[in-house]
Amino acid sequence: MTLLSFAVAAVAFIVLAPVIGCFIAGLDRIISARLQGRVGPPLLQPYYDVRKLLAKDDAAVNDFQGFYVAMSLAFAILAGVLFFAGGNFLLVVFVLTLSTLFFIVAAYSSRSPFAEIGAEREIVQVMSYEPMVILLTVTFFMATAALSGVGSFDTAAVLALDRPLIVALPFIFIGLVFILTIKLRKSPFDLSFSHHAHQELVKGITTEMSGRTLAIVEIMHWYETVLFLGWVGLFFVWGSWLSWLIALLVIIVIYLLEIFIDNNFARVKWQFMLKASWLVTLVCVVVNVAILEILF
Amino acid sequence: MDFLPLISIEFLVVFPLIIAALLLVVRNDTGRAVVVIGGSLAIIAGCVWIAVNYLTGSSWYGAFHNELFAYVVLLVDAAIGIYIIIKSIQHKRILPLILIVLQFVIIVIYEFVIQPDVVIEYDLYIDTLSVIMALIIGVIGCGICIYSLGYMKDFQEHENAKDPEAKDRRPVFFSLMFLFLSAMFGIVFSNNLSWLMTAWELTTVCSFALIGYTRTAEAIDNSFRQIVMNLLGGLAFAIALVLLGLQGVLEFDKLIEMGSAGLCVLPIALIAFAGMTKAAQVPFQSWLLGAMVAPTPTSALLHSSTMVKAGVFIFIKLAPALGWNSNGIMVMLVGALTFLFCAALAISQSNAKRVLAYSTVSNLGLIVACAGVGTPEAVWAAVFLLVFHAAAKSLLFLCIGVAEHHVGSRDIEEMDNLFVRMPALARLMALGILVMFIAPFGMLVSKWATIVSLVDTSNITLLVILAFGSALTFMFWAKWLGKLLSVAQEERSLEDKIHRSEWTALVLMALISVGLSIGFPFISEYVVVPYFMQVWVDSISGSFAAISFDNLLIMGIIVLAMIVAFAAFFGRSKKRKVPIYLSGVGLDFEKRTFRNSLSGVTEATQRNWHMDNWFGEKKVTPLANTMCIIVLLLGIGLSALSLVGWSL
Repeated sequence: MTLLSFAVAAVAFIVLAPVIGCFIAGLDRIISARLQGRVGPPLLQPYYDVRKLLAKDDAAVNDFQGFYVAMSLAFAILAGVLFFAGGNFLLVVFVLTLSTLFFIVAAYSSRSPFAEIGAEREIVQVMSYEPMVILLTVTFFMATAALSGVGSFDTAAVLALDRPLIVALPFIFIGLVFILTIKLRKSPFDLSFSHHAHQELVKGITTEMSGRTLAIVEIMHWYETVLFLGWVGLFFVWGSWLSWLIALLVIIVIYLLEIFIDNNFARVKWQFMLKASWLVTLVCVVVNVAILEILF
Repeated sequence: MDFLPLISIEFLVVFPLIIAALLLVVRNDTGRAVVVIGGSLAIIAGCVWIAVNYLTGSSWYGAFHNELFAYVVLLVDAAIGIYIIIKSIQHKRILPLILIVLQFVIIVIYEFVIQPDVVIEYDLYIDTLSVIMALIIGVIGCGICIYSLGYMKDFQEHENAKDPEAKDRRPVFFSLMFLFLSAMFGIVFSNNLSWLMTAWELTTVCSFALIGYTRTAEAIDNSFRQIVMNLLGGLAFAIALVLLGLQGVLEFDKLIEMGSAGLCVLPIALIAFAGMTKAAQVPFQSWLLGAMVAPTPTSALLHSSTMVKAGVFIFIKLAPALGWNSNGIMVMLVGALTFLFCAALAISQSNAKRVLAYSTVSNLGLIVACAGVGTPEAVWAAVFLLVFHAAAKSLLFLCIGVAEHHVGSRDIEEMDNLFVRMPALARLMALGILVMFIAPFGMLVSKWATIVSLVDTSNITLLVILAFGSALTFMFWAKWLGKLLSVAQEERSLEDKIHRSEWTALVLMALISVGLSIGFPFISEYVVVPYFMQVWVDSISGSFAAISFDNLLIMGIIVLAMIVAFAAFFGRSKKRKVPIYLSGVGLDFEKRTFRNSLSGVTEATQRNWHMDNWFGEKKVTPLANTMCIIVLLLGIGLSALSLVGWSL
């Protein structure tokens, strides 16, 4: 990662990611509506929502929450920039965790019982997906070593491969898709807060966030969506221009799958989420490492 | 120029003893404050002096043959033995009595039969690692001693409030603290293994006395639990000494050169066992948990700069002899399992000190596991884990101590008022927590290095354990941090009663934690890496740092950016304040009560998750103990087989 690639990625991610994320969110709502037999809002509805939130009266429950949420956004953006600049994958994961922590603290700071429930559930969500995320970076290194001879944690390493990562990491990919449902805040794992009104706790972690603060949360969600879909794409990019097209196709398919899952499963209890994601992580990692050892 | 290093080691070992003796005599508050502060400053100066001369690369080994001193060591051994025997008889404990008598017999055989035949070349040494340890012991240890001045004053007042006749035993307390420091310096500078062993046993006795300080039934029980476990380790150490003496290897550097081969395998396993008891690795974690009955500065001292740090120090020293052999595998498994299980156990606790205790054991487990892996990268990580843990953990304990005296509780559930009631203290505590578990601060960066070193050695078992353990770690810190930073809507400060000595120590620890996090890349580049160049001379050349300088720099810059952001914007919002929503008309937002739909008053209560059914002590402890005991038995058993010429 050179300073130049960092600067280019920074500008591109900061400007483009929210636009793409906003469109994805709009499409998500339309497709979800169609799945439920409704027409749904216009494509740009998420943008209109955020614009309206930004125009709202600037009120908050304390002097600190807005700061925490802003920090959360800043680090989410930094994580995305580092990822798309080809930086160290582990660094990306750690910076993202920091962002999540600020979001959690923002909810706690309100001292609202509802926000606290959401924050605690968010922590359990982190605990559920974190092992998979860490092991994703680890197996990323092992796979680059297996495919090219030189192991690397830098995401840019995929560009030097002659085959995509998915060849070496099929089960890790499955594990990633599984926890992606948690990270994208999709039902059945949208425990901390939800975009669906039928869940037993709807706003949870964002209960006491309003106006500009809530707008920042929405924008952060757009950034995060693009970053996570980048993780999906990472498995299909190698040193060929064709691979970018394939990666894009896979990303579309995976996101459609997430929407489908979102609309067809009721929220589960945290116990199930924790057990399921840890079990999936364990099985996927063990099987995939065995594959790496035997076949490569 | 062998004269100067010798003098500086002697100063660091002997000077705290003088202070300790002086503190027994000085009985008034002002006099004690003068002695403690003056002594601490001198010790810190001594450490800094050694650091200036020996921190970057050049190590020194020297002889110190002195007939008289040999008798002094013997005398200390005897004194330790007699003290424990008296205490055991006094409190009618049979187990420590048996252990100490056994150990005594072995030591006597060793001293009079074996040792006279062995020629010792170098008794003392100074290298980068021992200087880093000396800085931790000196700066952080003395910081805690200064803090204790204020803390123990309040403590004594509380005691006197309960019982006006309560005896003021503070002279003993402070004396023990400095004796402890002296023993620790002895451990980190001794190349002569029998001196090391004496200092080792001295730390056991000091912590025994400090844990039992309050003389309540619980304190005495827990102090005996500590001494039984550590005497087991001491016994193992003594047996190792005899075995090594038979081969004529009684110097640490020579032992490491021999490595885990041939007849040194079992002694190394035994020393590792001793290290595990001292570093409170599972199944020995319960003594450190029990140690919580002592006054908080004791906990701070045991957790951050002494005692358990002696345990992990031994592992870092042994690291070149560990790795992919039976001892190395035993050490890395026990360490990794300890890391995992104790992180889980920490989730189930709501007593802040117990959470800290489990987190200490868990982090030490990670250090031990890194040492077990034994590659330069892994040990690089272990050294940084040790340094950051010392700084951040002492900060946290000292914060808890203050909070406890002023709020009257050490329960995390009751900390949701701390942010407005003790604003500065809550911020410092939050800083301590951040340094412990999240990027861009030191502990997390060190953990990152651990991951890299494990990947490089394809150690997938440990990687999986580490990944799950890290997730558990996030859980217990994040929920604590959340409670701590929640803002009650009424403001009243209780901070004016905090002693100046307490503030001094708190700010010192905070500065160290943050300063080290920012300076991380430079410390790595100019201090730690050169050290590895020496220790692993023969291994692969190239970089010994698991994380590139650039990435470390990014972390340092993020720390700086966070400081700037907090300084500029934290709490300076101009937004209009509105009350939170409470399912009705809010009445008291501090108590979170509201008028319900039947015009009655309802209180909204919300407690953190402790997941007792998943991570409670009843569930996890037996499992953890069983697994680690099996690993230990297998490991030591395999090593014992090496005596008859069999090896893995």
